[in-house]
Amino acid sequence: MCGINGIFSYHPAASGADEAELLATREAMRRRGPDGTGSWWSEDRRCALGHRRLAILDLSERAAQPMLSEDGRLAISFNGEIYNYPDLRAELQAAGVRLRSGSDTEVLLHLYAREGADIVHRLRGMYAFAIWDQARRELFLARDPYGIKPLYTANDGWTFRFASQVKALLAGGKVSRDPEPAGIVGFYLFGSVPEPFTLYRDIRALPAGHTQLIDSTGPREPRAFATLAGMLADGAAAPAPAAELRERVRAAALDSVRRHLLADVEVGVFLSAGIDSGAVLGLVRGAGAREIRAITLVFDEFRGTAEDEAPLAARVAALYGAEHIVRRVCRDEFESDFPAVLEAMDQPTIDGINTWFVAKAAKEAGLKVALSGLGGDELLAGYSSFGDLPRWRRRFGPLAVIPGFGRIARAAIRAAAPGFARRCPKALGLLEYARCWGGAYLLKRGLFLPHELPALMDADLAREGMRRLRPLRRIAASLSPDPGSDAGRVCALESAHYMRNQLLRDADWAGMAHGVEIRVPLVDATLLEAMAPVMPALTRANGKAALAEAPAVPLPAETVARAKSGFGVPTRAWMDRAAAAPDEPKGLTSRRWSQVVLAAAEALPARAA
Amino acid sequence: MSAAPRVLALVTDAFGGSGGIAQYNRDLLDALVESGAASAIVAVPRHGAGVADLPAGIRQMRARRGRVRYAVAALAAAVRLRPGIVFCGHLYMAPLAAVIARLTGARLVVQTHGIEAWPPPSRLRRAALEQADLVLSVSRCTRGRVVGWAAIAPERAAVIPDTVGPAFVPGDGGGFRRSLGLGTERVLLTVGRLDSRERYKGHDRIIAAIPGLVAGGHDVVYLVIGAGDDRPRLEALARATGVAGRVRFLGTVPRDRLVDAYRAADLFVMPSTGEGFGIAFLEAMACGTPALGLAVGGATDALADGELGTTVAEDGLAAAISRLLTRSRPDPRELSARTHARFGREAFRARVGEVFGRLWAPA
Repeated sequence: MCGINGIFSYHPAASGADEAELLATREAMRRRGPDGTGSWWSEDRRCALGHRRLAILDLSERAAQPMLSEDGRLAISFNGEIYNYPDLRAELQAAGVRLRSGSDTEVLLHLYAREGADIVHRLRGMYAFAIWDQARRELFLARDPYGIKPLYTANDGWTFRFASQVKALLAGGKVSRDPEPAGIVGFYLFGSVPEPFTLYRDIRALPAGHTQLIDSTGPREPRAFATLAGMLADGAAAPAPAAELRERVRAAALDSVRRHLLADVEVGVFLSAGIDSGAVLGLVRGAGAREIRAITLVFDEFRGTAEDEAPLAARVAALYGAEHIVRRVCRDEFESDFPAVLEAMDQPTIDGINTWFVAKAAKEAGLKVALSGLGGDELLAGYSSFGDLPRWRRRFGPLAVIPGFGRIARAAIRAAAPGFARRCPKALGLLEYARCWGGAYLLKRGLFLPHELPALMDADLAREGMRRLRPLRRIAASLSPDPGSDAGRVCALESAHYMRNQLLRDADWAGMAHGVEIRVPLVDATLLEAMAPVMPALTRANGKAALAEAPAVPLPAETVARAKSGFGVPTRAWMDRAAAAPDEPKGLTSRRWSQVVLAAAEALPARAA
Repeated sequence: MSAAPRVLALVTDAFGGSGGIAQYNRDLLDALVESGAASAIVAVPRHGAGVADLPAGIRQMRARRGRVRYAVAALAAAVRLRPGIVFCGHLYMAPLAAVIARLTGARLVVQTHGIEAWPPPSRLRRAALEQADLVLSVSRCTRGRVVGWAAIAPERAAVIPDTVGPAFVPGDGGGFRRSLGLGTERVLLTVGRLDSRERYKGHDRIIAAIPGLVAGGHDVVYLVIGAGDDRPRLEALARATGVAGRVRFLGTVPRDRLVDAYRAADLFVMPSTGEGFGIAFLEAMACGTPALGLAVGGATDALADGELGTTVAEDGLAAAISRLLTRSRPDPRELSARTHARFGREAFRARVGEVFGRLWAPA
């Protein structure tokens, strides 16, 4: 896990790649890679790559980046982990390839030399990388199917730039900061900026599961090589008996966890009192790991109350023989870290605070890598959305398709019950948005609804942002091809939006701020492919239960029972205070918070002239 | 890969026209044929005189001024030609071009230049542009503005900058100076239209800077080339500023004399705030004369971010003129060679060929 960046002056009128800019962008990512730096220029200095390294596989200098192929034709800058690299390595060696290092980076280089862009179909893991091909004078970018690792690009018509972070591209000083209305509107709608947009017109995310080629004519449009909906649709087309669900979860989750333990440094586990992280810990034990350290974040406010996760987490840690580190956080620490949180936050988000502190605890414990249970709720129907969305569609969908009905109903309710309208702004949208999956999802996850935007921002900007973002169309696109079942649809929606744009992005910046690589074994394309054939049989009851039983020694019944009621986190209250909110109905804290983080993003120091 | 397409070009004016856009259109159509990116071109102009002698492969219909007559002529040309690509040379013709492209199944290319494409256009024009397979801009600035108001994939918006012809090379400007009776004075030059509606070229700023330059020991003369209805106002301004004797309005000048004017100047300066690109900067530097502009709009492209010319903020203009007049003049041949390398005909032709080639036969 590292920070990558690069500059390609593809247009003949452009000046060569600027050294000061390359280094400024790279050094803005120093916390992503505290263990080493590198930069590389093509002979004519039209293309340059930068790299900041967090050494996890092959800690030697042989694995330093940017790395060149033996013949000097290819140069790579890579961020991420290829979990099946031992297989790929063995395959290359069997084919007579001589490898100089024990790194997955070198395997990527050799594989690209042999297979070109098709390489992406061979990789299991989280990745974002760029490969320069000197002979073809082309730059090739790729990003993993789930979008676990970030990759941002900027094209001004002369020069193409990329980096792992938006703020790093801005730090180079040559990328326009003109705003992107779609990014701002998207942030208000979702609470995180929906890719490919960012807050800036000229900076875009390379979408998850896409590759992009840049040659002398400039960047080509990104091409999709894998979609979550497609994997789910394939599975639904070849369904497996519901009775296989439990065994599939067990085998595929164990396989994924085993793969995710690949490292030349210690791998820890983030442990809450919930099922996902507990099961991951149990599977780590099942995969044969001996000394395991598990970190639990607890809050002083809850000490001794039923909300305190520590006792239950301690039981799970003891069950699997892990050394348990309990890290307590109080409001004072939150408030003193707050400026650093805003600074590390690459793009505004209404979450990520818990991840910040648990990653901080991992760093204090000397860990560079930790497994997280993130993704279990998306994969195994853990969210209420798996029940709500299909229900809303059934109940309100038929009414909502009547043109204008929702809007009129909204106005009527607002007039008849203004108090209700203020307390439950989203409930008013049911009759308007439930007509399609995209609308129902927007309603479920939405921070604000489109009709509320003009009160938050300039009305023209809101309209233009909606026109550019087209949120319903964008959500609908993540359901194409049709995943084939309600559970599959909600899985695709939650994974391609909330998880990708919020949870995974937060895990990236908050982990990287402490030089900690957060690995997510429950977010794995191979695991998804194994689950896809039983998705139609998945329910809110059987999915997480199967995960709880996946370890050889199942999770305690108490964990499963407790998970249903959930745990509170005081961070909402802290955020509320930090956001200096006046008296507001509960549940609207994140709305207030969104204004604070957006204002912080917009107040970034202007670039040097 | 399929054979190169036939191109229908809807243009304001091209061959036989005058001004920057006509020049750009001629250069582009030439380059399309020369690079092999187009097998044949039919251009339909709105204005301009007929031209007998056209490059091989290019046909230009006679100009049609009325909108309806123009549309009919363009449609008729499309039916006859059955183009693979419809090139729309100006945003205001984009709706017509989009209709023709749709009717004929051709790919649509829309060209944007400068201030016409900076503010958001009408919905109709925006919708037409958003249908384009490729949007071309002459500068990064114009491209950025277009990408800002149009919901198009950024990869569909490319830059093909203005180009400078082979006639613009260094040489002796002494004859031109003598013809104006100039001796050892330092010569500042601006080339551009004097348009009372636009007034963005920045003549005012230079006239205002002259007294300070003179007081600073610079014996300057300011040559203004270009015609337009703003001239009387600028002449009055020069008088009011007390520098009428140092400002010479030369009107429009023929091509060969223009080249000599560039060569005769010590500094080409155009503190404009509205350049889509600023071809005159290129012409000056190709003639070996240093160029100065504001870091605003497309001028930064022509001046190559300071690598060919100099860009300054508006409040630094007078100091920059003084500094550039004080330093020894850089080698004209070297500046000219670097300018032609980035913006000469060869680089332009190659770029046009690549960009249209990719549109026609995407990898």
